[in-house]
Amino acid sequence: MKASSHSSRVSSSKKRMDLRNWTGGIVNVLMTMYALVTLYPLLWLFMSAFKTNEQFFSRPFQFPTDWQWENFTRAWEVSDMGLAMFNSVIVTIVSLVLSLVIGALAAYVLSRFQFRFKLFFMGLFLLGMLIPIHSTLVPLFILMNKVHLLNTYWALILPYVAFELPIAIFITQAYMNTFPKDIEEAAAIDGTGYWGIFARIMLPLSLPALSTVAILAFLRFWNEFSFALVFISKPALKTLPLSLSMFATGYMTDYKLTMAALSLSVIPTIIVYLIFQKHIMQGMVAGAVKG
Amino acid sequence: MTSSSRMKGFITLGLLPALLLYLVFVIIPIIWSAYYGLFDWKGIGTAKFIGLGNYLEAIQDPIFWLSFKNNMLIVAASVFGQVPIALFLALFLLKNSWFHKFIRSSVFMPMVLSSVVVGIIWGYIYHPEIGILNFLLDRLGLSSWKQLWLSDPSISMYSLMVPIIWNYIGPYLIIFIAALQNIPSEIDDAAKIDGVESSRKLFSITLPMIWDTIKVAVVLCISGSLKAFDLIYIMTGGGPAHSTELLASYMYNNTFSIYRFGYGSAVSTTIIILSLVLIAGSQYLMKKNYR
Repeated sequence: MKASSHSSRVSSSKKRMDLRNWTGGIVNVLMTMYALVTLYPLLWLFMSAFKTNEQFFSRPFQFPTDWQWENFTRAWEVSDMGLAMFNSVIVTIVSLVLSLVIGALAAYVLSRFQFRFKLFFMGLFLLGMLIPIHSTLVPLFILMNKVHLLNTYWALILPYVAFELPIAIFITQAYMNTFPKDIEEAAAIDGTGYWGIFARIMLPLSLPALSTVAILAFLRFWNEFSFALVFISKPALKTLPLSLSMFATGYMTDYKLTMAALSLSVIPTIIVYLIFQKHIMQGMVAGAVKG
Repeated sequence: MTSSSRMKGFITLGLLPALLLYLVFVIIPIIWSAYYGLFDWKGIGTAKFIGLGNYLEAIQDPIFWLSFKNNMLIVAASVFGQVPIALFLALFLLKNSWFHKFIRSSVFMPMVLSSVVVGIIWGYIYHPEIGILNFLLDRLGLSSWKQLWLSDPSISMYSLMVPIIWNYIGPYLIIFIAALQNIPSEIDDAAKIDGVESSRKLFSITLPMIWDTIKVAVVLCISGSLKAFDLIYIMTGGGPAHSTELLASYMYNNTFSIYRFGYGSAVSTTIIILSLVLIAGSQYLMKKNYR
């Protein structure tokens, strides 16, 4: 009696284990399918970039029969992508450096000093994260027009930095708040001034937070579209997303070239994502949750 | 120089660049647009003061309300599409195994792509003649399901929701996974000992424990829905027949296509007020406790 009840319990728990393995397996299959569906548009993009126009719509789901590598060189030339990349690199790097330096400096002040209106300033910066960027397009256009900055790199760099500052300050300040006070006190006794403490102690120590800020800012500046659309009309100054959007409208029916151009533009961001995905996920979430 | 005045000088110099950029390119434009919204102004020539005329015109314009409705549809799609899908996925992706990490990375990946690229890819997927969606339906023998996905005004807005959900689901997934991993394992064990059913556990334990995170996600949905401009500009430009117009594209078209800067400013101000009201309202509604 005792033995049989024991064995039945064993077999029922074994059954439950089986069931759990089964459902676990099904869940894994479903998750894999979801991931593949998510990745599919991108796979399709890369596959189509190697095809001929004819194969693009006659065999959309198959691999190309012969790989048209020259699509990429053609797309690079026809879309003038070298120039667009150059513009994007300049705008991104200058905006990035300015956001990091200005943001870290403000974060240091807000994290380490007590002064009047400090809470007011912090609230003001926080407010910036709630403001929809598009609602400033019209007044910024009027402003840029008045100060004759339309169709210059600065028309992009200055608003990019301004809109990135709240997140940069928020992430860096939160990180600096965790440093013990003794570090600076020791430096102050040695006669190091505030600028010295900032440059030689706070900046290097904040490197992890700053790298998160930098990666997020890179992605945002590199991909930004609406400011470029409104502030830049000179072909020589077009950034990558803007020039791609123009190219895609102009060459709408030359599918292989459009696909090749899109693939080329996506490669840098994918590489950055593959290297820094942990930073990117955590940073985007932290940046999103702040409000 | 005394040490306290040196400190004051440093605080001022440290905050000044950030504050200046932020005020000039974020805060002042908002005030300006509220001001210009009171004028009838074509961008050049003299501006005529018309008080609240622009606002009255907006609330009498059916296209304004159509845009508003579309914005709300995107909020609804995010709240009732993105949040449940992300939550469901999160429940099964809690482990830090390479498989779960791979799926998380895949789901998050569209976040790093430029919305220009996303828009063009999905434009091709939905294309009536060469698009892979209609091609797939043909292959599956479902030709009658084929649609003019983006050019039929009665369905175009719903077609747009798929790429929007696809694009922005990643951060929600990561937030939910972090929240679920924070639930102490003792609670899980206690539920197991008490023999709580898994569906009951989900609704009585898991969801209440991450309710705060769900609140944050809903706020993100609202502020995120105002950012869909880029994608829609690339894919439909707000057409056909204004069926996919958003408040941001409505503002853009009024300002930069027909040069009504005063009216565009008034719409910008409306967008800011609306988004702040929505965020405050959602916070207030979600304050009520779970159940």
